[in-house]
Amino acid sequence: MTAQALARDDLGALFDALRAEGYRVVGPTLRDDAIVLADLRGPEDLPAGWTVRQGPGTYRVERRDDEALFGFAVGQHSWKGFLFPSRERLVEMRREDGALEHRPAARDAAPLAFLGVRGCDLAAIEVQDRTFMRGRHVDPGYDARRRAAFVVAVDCLEAGDLCFCASMGTGPGVERGFDLRLTELGPRFLVAVGSARGASVAARLPLRAAPAGDERRRRDGLDDARAHMGRTMQADDLPGLLFGNLDHPRWDDVAARCLACANCTLVCPTCFCFSVETVSDLSGTEARRDRAWDSCFTVQHGQIHGATFRPRIKDRYRQWLTHKLGAWVSQFGVSGCTGCGRCIAWCPVGIDLTEEVAAIRATSRPAVAMPPPPAPAPAVREPMVPATARVTAVRRETDDVVTLRIAHEIAFRPGQFHMLGLPAIGEVPISIAGGDGRSVDHTIRAVGAVSGALAALEPGHALGIRGPFGSAWPLEACVGRPVVVVAGGVGLAPLRAALDTMAARPLDYPSVRLLYGARTPADLLFTDDLQRWAADPRFAVRVTVDHAGADWRGDVGVVTRLITDVPPDAVALVCGPEMMMGFSVRALCAAGLPAERAYVSMERNMACAVAHCGRCQLGPYFVCRDGPVFRFDRIARLFDQEGF
Amino acid sequence: MKPRLAVIKLASCDGCQVTLLDLEDELLAIGEALDVAHFTEASSRFDPDGPFDLTLIEGSVSQPRQIPIVRHARAMSKRLVAIGACANTGGLQALRNWANHEEYLSLVYARPEYIETLAESKPVSELVPVDFELNGCPPDRHQLLEVITAFLVGRRPNIRSESVCLECKRAGHVCVHVAYGIPCLGPVTQAGCGALCPGKRRGCYSCFGPRENANTGSLADDLERKGLPPAEVARRFRLIYGWAPPFRAESARREKP
Ligand SMILES: Cc1cc2nc3c(=O)[nH]c(=O)nc-3n(C[C@H](O)[C@H](O)[C@H](O)COP(=O)(O)OP(=O)(O)OC[C@H]3O[C@@H](n4cnc5c(N)ncnc54)[C@H](O)[C@@H]3O)c2cc1C
Ligand code: SF4
Ligand code: SF4
Ligand code: SF4
Ligand code: SF4
Repeated sequence: MTAQALARDDLGALFDALRAEGYRVVGPTLRDDAIVLADLRGPEDLPAGWTVRQGPGTYRVERRDDEALFGFAVGQHSWKGFLFPSRERLVEMRREDGALEHRPAARDAAPLAFLGVRGCDLAAIEVQDRTFMRGRHVDPGYDARRRAAFVVAVDCLEAGDLCFCASMGTGPGVERGFDLRLTELGPRFLVAVGSARGASVAARLPLRAAPAGDERRRRDGLDDARAHMGRTMQADDLPGLLFGNLDHPRWDDVAARCLACANCTLVCPTCFCFSVETVSDLSGTEARRDRAWDSCFTVQHGQIHGATFRPRIKDRYRQWLTHKLGAWVSQFGVSGCTGCGRCIAWCPVGIDLTEEVAAIRATSRPAVAMPPPPAPAPAVREPMVPATARVTAVRRETDDVVTLRIAHEIAFRPGQFHMLGLPAIGEVPISIAGGDGRSVDHTIRAVGAVSGALAALEPGHALGIRGPFGSAWPLEACVGRPVVVVAGGVGLAPLRAALDTMAARPLDYPSVRLLYGARTPADLLFTDDLQRWAADPRFAVRVTVDHAGADWRGDVGVVTRLITDVPPDAVALVCGPEMMMGFSVRALCAAGLPAERAYVSMERNMACAVAHCGRCQLGPYFVCRDGPVFRFDRIARLFDQEGF
Repeated sequence: MKPRLAVIKLASCDGCQVTLLDLEDELLAIGEALDVAHFTEASSRFDPDGPFDLTLIEGSVSQPRQIPIVRHARAMSKRLVAIGACANTGGLQALRNWANHEEYLSLVYARPEYIETLAESKPVSELVPVDFELNGCPPDRHQLLEVITAFLVGRRPNIRSESVCLECKRAGHVCVHVAYGIPCLGPVTQAGCGALCPGKRRGCYSCFGPRENANTGSLADDLERKGLPPAEVARRFRLIYGWAPPFRAESARREKP
């Protein structure tokens, strides 16, 4: 097919065609002395004759000496604002007279036509597709908006001051993924069709054969842009390089300058982190969960009850850079950076990631190996809408711990967890402590608002439940081997279903040793289960407490003291506070167990539990998706790293 | 029985209490959900003795007579929430903390001997522990409603300690600091206002006070790079929230020649 062209004066026809096909047209326009993305009425709204001059921490619009319509580099806004809006209602809930209803919130997915999508930004959309559409859980709002969106891409024949798309392989030309592509060549646009939808819009345009040489002019323009990139970055080896240099002095240097203001993450077209907020009326009858853009530069992002994982600005900047340029590849099979330069321009103090990377590279220690991305999994939809379930029985375990039996027909694997929620109060991850296919047990320690309200439920009360989520204890790998189970405090709850499985299959599990530590005898969970397991000749149960009265006949002291004579072919399952797990695994390894046969269950902040909200990251892993149960050697380095 | 609410005032402009009255659409519902036991700005009921389930306390501790009021409020309240800049950091009147208050008195009042005042304007939390600090001069009414609702339904209030920049970006405002070179304190300021000023092409002047982990030093360096003299930088930090420790320390550093 010969190349087609659209006269600049006929650009209005593109707007008409898009509208005729049902799209609302959004694209770049000059507003408040900046080029922003907004609704466009027609070609007159495009920033004709404007360009931008940018540097680290500065951005100014300027007149060009021609009337080019697309003669500027990307600005503060990106298309993520349309596909993944900064605020979105997810779930609506109503509780009345004991009834509890959960329903997905209405979604705005009116078809949009994105006019003027650059190569870096089209790549960024595809990066976010991997988070919200290509994993095990599909975000229904994003999915609907993305499928409906029409992409009119535009080639960049001039590079911006802060661009490095050529380094990241995302531009300056747009070669695929568009419906229509425009290349601005003075008085006309070279037009390429990239999809059936694109063809149907193109059929409405007054296209003419492009003059001979236009394809050449496009290629020359792209070569010229490629040769004049404002920035460069060597990226292919960054995952291993950054994770091999988590103690580099440059992190302290940048932390002194970084404001932890989060602007870089919010302008970045690929950052996907969000928080989930519970909102309700004064009576708690009507409630909803809303999400809002969040960032690893906020303290809440890495905070759970009793622990703040990234207290220092250094920890947060390192999270951003190691995720963006490193962990992303393990999580999604692609870098999180497209080279658009936004984070450099819109950083109030002008921190330039290409400079930070270069400084780390200049005096780096060797790279480390990184895990490969997970295999694609079948998609689950509406992952944020809970099912309603009812409590059938409550058993008080200790002063502040109860076990709820909840009627819920579900198959799970020991080690997995549910998100349990109450409409006006919130939702938290709780491990599955047992179940029989018709009901599940959850053992909950009341430590704060949500866990406290859950622990106060009574038989007949309704709650929301989502899941099960996450990885399981490696019970198949334990078959035929001695198993050492080490539990601290409520850490016995996630192990209870695994212990019951082993108790029920005597031929598969010839020897199980349970070492369990609690603060005091009054804090011991599942005392009748402990007796039942202890009565089984294959089980050896030892219980220790930190403090006890004179009538206590068990051990006193930390649980790690019980870790002796570990059989060399054993598998160890460890759950408890992070510090206790660290000491336990070290003691197990000192007793001769290889770290690849020790498993731990990790805890991080979770707002979604479906690998979308980004808060539970642990280096290359999502705790909700790749954990909570991890083989220890896979996370050993991060486990010992302060601030991760 | 409905939970009993008290609204108590110390040294302040009453703006925080007015924020509560500004919740026009919700006032009726609040009145239905809570027993408004003591709120002199809005109601004729006068019951300063308590006890209260929820007490909102406005204003700084600026006079000796306010000390027992604060102690009493604490003793009689299940939940004590300090609202506004004054209650949480001493407020604008804490500007006198850098000066000699006796001198100020004789300059301002014809008969200073009738005025009883402390040398420093202090936050409530310097005298008694508070259960929650809601910042802003005045606080945002939606945040105030959230604190009250969260108390009533038993959730943790959705009040984040993040920077104003997050709200600014969520709103889609063009960054005034980067795009126009207007000095903005948003990066070191606690969110809550919805980025009002940047939305009106003005820099944030921090009427919600310092956020968690505020790197004031780096921002102050940047303001100097943008051409503000150090004394002017010091003044920017010494405003409504000037007595808040991070801002107090920064203005002191910039003031030195
Ligand atoms: C995989 C996994 C399994 C777990 N299994 C169990 C278990 O079996 N039993 C058990 O007892 N515990 C378990 N936990 C821990 C449990 O999830 C926490 O104790 C619980 O989240 C505490 O929540 P809270 O609201 O009660 O506490 P809070 O102290 O009120 O809140 C804890 C944190 O949650 C966030 N948060 C809560 N509410 C809000 C809000 N409204 N707005 C903003 N932020 C908010 C905050 O970051 C806060 O720091 C598990 C955790 C994980 C990750
Ligand atoms: S990290 Fe920076 S340059 Fe890379 S895509 Fe994000 S905003 Fe653009
Ligand atoms: S954790 Fe990653 S995706 Fe989330 S804000 Fe930080 S850099 Fe962006
Ligand atoms: S790098 Fe810049 S934009 Fe990002 S958090 Fe730090 S100061 Fe803010
Ligand atoms: S205008 Fe101010 S508050 Fe908004 S992003 Fe810029 S620095 Fe932050």
